[in-house]
Order: sequence, then C-alpha cells, then structure tokens
Amino acid sequence: MTIYFDVAVADIFATMPRRYRPEGAQGLQTTLGYDIRGEGRWKLTLAGDRMEIESTGDLSGCAAILCADGETFAGLTLGRIDPNEAMRAGKLQLEGDGEAFAATYRIFQKYSPPIPAIQPSQELLVLKKTISVHQRFATGPVFGKFLMGLKNRKILAIKCPSCGRLQSPPREACAICRVRNSEWVEIGPKGEMRMLEYCYYASPDPLTGETRETPYGAIGILLDGCRDEEVFWHLLRPDQLDKARRGIVLGDKVIHGSRLRPVWNETRTGSIDDILFFEIDEA
Amino acid sequence: MHPNFDLSDCYTIQGKLALPYTYFAGSVGSIFLTTLRDRRKIMGIKCHTCGKVFVPPRQTCERCLEDIRDQWVELGDTGTLENFTVVRYADRHLPRRPPFVLGLIRLDGADTPLLHLVAGVVVDRVAEGLRVRAVFAAQPENTILGIDHFQPL
Repeated sequence: MTIYFDVAVADIFATMPRRYRPEGAQGLQTTLGYDIRGEGRWKLTLAGDRMEIESTGDLSGCAAILCADGETFAGLTLGRIDPNEAMRAGKLQLEGDGEAFAATYRIFQKYSPPIPAIQPSQELLVLKKTISVHQRFATGPVFGKFLMGLKNRKILAIKCPSCGRLQSPPREACAICRVRNSEWVEIGPKGEMRMLEYCYYASPDPLTGETRETPYGAIGILLDGCRDEEVFWHLLRPDQLDKARRGIVLGDKVIHGSRLRPVWNETRTGSIDDILFFEIDEA
Repeated sequence: MHPNFDLSDCYTIQGKLALPYTYFAGSVGSIFLTTLRDRRKIMGIKCHTCGKVFVPPRQTCERCLEDIRDQWVELGDTGTLENFTVVRYADRHLPRRPPFVLGLIRLDGADTPLLHLVAGVVVDRVAEGLRVRAVFAAQPENTILGIDHFQPL
C-alpha cells in the first residue's frame, strides 16, 4: 500500500460507509466499480438508502468502472488533481456510465485525511531561582569615617593637599596628584542637581538584596562647598523624578538646577542608606 | 597601614545580594535532565566525525562544528575523578555544609568531565584518579542534582 498526498487509497474506501449521505443518493440504484492499479478493486453498490462497498477481484455487472492509478485516484478524491486533465493525460479511464461517478460527490461527504497522531512535545526544563549571597564590606579607615559622618547627619569630603579638590565619597589618595589625602571638610548637606539618570533596570540593592522600584533617579548633586565636577552620587525622591531640574554648565555659563536637601533615615547605622534620598528644597 | 590613619572608624557592613535568574536547559539539556530523572541514566552525545563523547551533552561539536543533537549514547554510572577542589566556607547558595568536595568526573566512555559533588569519603583522602560511582537522588529532581553525588567504588 502506497501513500499519496498523505492518504492511503484503502482508507478512502474504508471510510465510505461513514461518509455516506442517503439524502444525497435519492434512491439511486446502481453498482460502480473501482479498478485502482497497484492498490486493488472495489465494488460500490447503491440500493435505495443502503450502500455497500466491498474489496473484490470481480467487477462484473458494474454499470460503470473507474480505472486509475493510486496517485491519480487519491488526487481526484482530495481535489488535488483535475479529472478532465487526468482523462486527457490518460491517467483516468471511465467505462460505461461515467456520469454516475460525478454523482458520488453528492452521495459521500468529502474525504479528509486522518489527522496524524500528535507527537508528544518534548518536556523543556526551566529553572527559576534567586541566589542569595551574603557579603561583608570592610570600610577601611577613610570610608568608615565618611559613613560615620552620615550617621551623625554630616556629609564629609576629603581634600587633596596638592590640588585642593574634594572627594566624597572619599578616597585615600588623589588619583590626579598621586598624593595621600589628609584633610577632612564638611560639605552640603544641601546642593544643586547637576546630573539625573532615569534607571529602568530593577537592579538589586547590594546591601538589602531587595529589587529597586523602577524607574528611579540616580543623581549627581553639587553640594554646597564643592565646585566643578565634585558631585555627590545619591538617589532622587521617586515622586520628584519629573519635577527636579538638572543644572547645565556651558563654558562659563551655568544654568542652575533644582536645589536639593537630604532626607535622613530615622535609624542611621553608618551606611549610604543613612540618607534615604534627596528631595527638592524650594518653596 | 599609614601611621597617620585613624583606625577608629574601621568596621564592616553586612550586605546581601539577591540575584534572581531564569535558567533554560534547552532542548538537549532537557533530555539529559529528564532522562536522569525518569530513567536514572546518564546520557551523552557522540560526534560521529571525531568520535568525541560529551557529558554533559551539547548540541554542537566544538571541534567539527557539526550538529550532533540527535546522537545520544548511554553511559554507565562509573567514572574517574580527574580533578577536584575542597570547598571550605559556608554560604547559603552552596549545596553542602563545608568542607565538601567538588570534582570533575570523567565517566567511563566519555571524553569530557562532569562537575559534581564527591561524597562518602574523608575530604583529605580524595585524590585524582579516584574511581567513583553516581548515586541518584531519592526524589525526582529537574536539575543536575538528579545525581545526588558521586562516591568511591
């Protein structure tokens, strides 16, 4: 048995009783033969409301006989091959009352190929997890002094003895002059917003492990007592993201940004979170 | 330390980093893990061109660059410890209490090593060349921990 167009010829005949429509036959009484080369012979008997299909070698007594190869017959059944063209090509021959075969389109519901068994889809594994890593940050003497300043509501900067620039958060050395920083000064706590980044990535806070609400504003504040690029990094009050103005420096010209003040945490532990965020300090 | 530094402000801050992630095992990786879970078999993939057997399996041969995803071979439970390290610190993301051994185990018939836990042996007695056998997890598991650990033969 060969498969043409995903269809077995035997299956077309086997499904005829199921597809039979007595109302389409309208009392037609005839016997039709099918001679499908390489597949077999079938005899269709229509008698009133009854129909019978049998696989048989003997097609004698049929009013008409259809001869075709399996591919042509399957193609005709599915509507993939045009009967007139098949006749012209010599692939389809009708003996006897050929019109009787046209009536079978009324008598039987359209053949539809069996739905192939659905392959079970592969099980794909996905693992969702949250790794929690405990960490300890050693402050060192310089950063520790800065954080202790925050605990006492003071923002400290360290001053380069050579060029005089301020760094906050402080570093042990001025990387430009390559000298050790020594002098401490208190700056701010108020200042002017010079930089604003809208952050849409919900980065985890490395101290708490909690995911930040987005968008949040990471800002650079030029605290009072600082100049040029001596900006201090922190967060903007979330509901003031669109309200605070960013200052701009164009050569000698300065367009000032919003004045900001720190909002201190009630419980301060000597951490950068001792300042919750900065908020607008304007009437 | 510079003598002028005031050490009174030195202290440590506790931090906790949470890293949410989604790991997709992929088509080949999923077959490997589900076979481990359902049939308790360790499967590898063999490149028919160079003959290399990959465990854990991979979709493409690294040498021949050929698609080898359907060329599954079944391996046994035994192998040889090729290399190892002893983990001596505790953390929540680690699979065992320290000290424990992470080993690179080359299964018999495989050409690549598989990273896994080596247990059932005194840590200081672990050595390269140790013959080990896979011990499968008692409960079904959708990760490489479908093998609970390897232990000496």
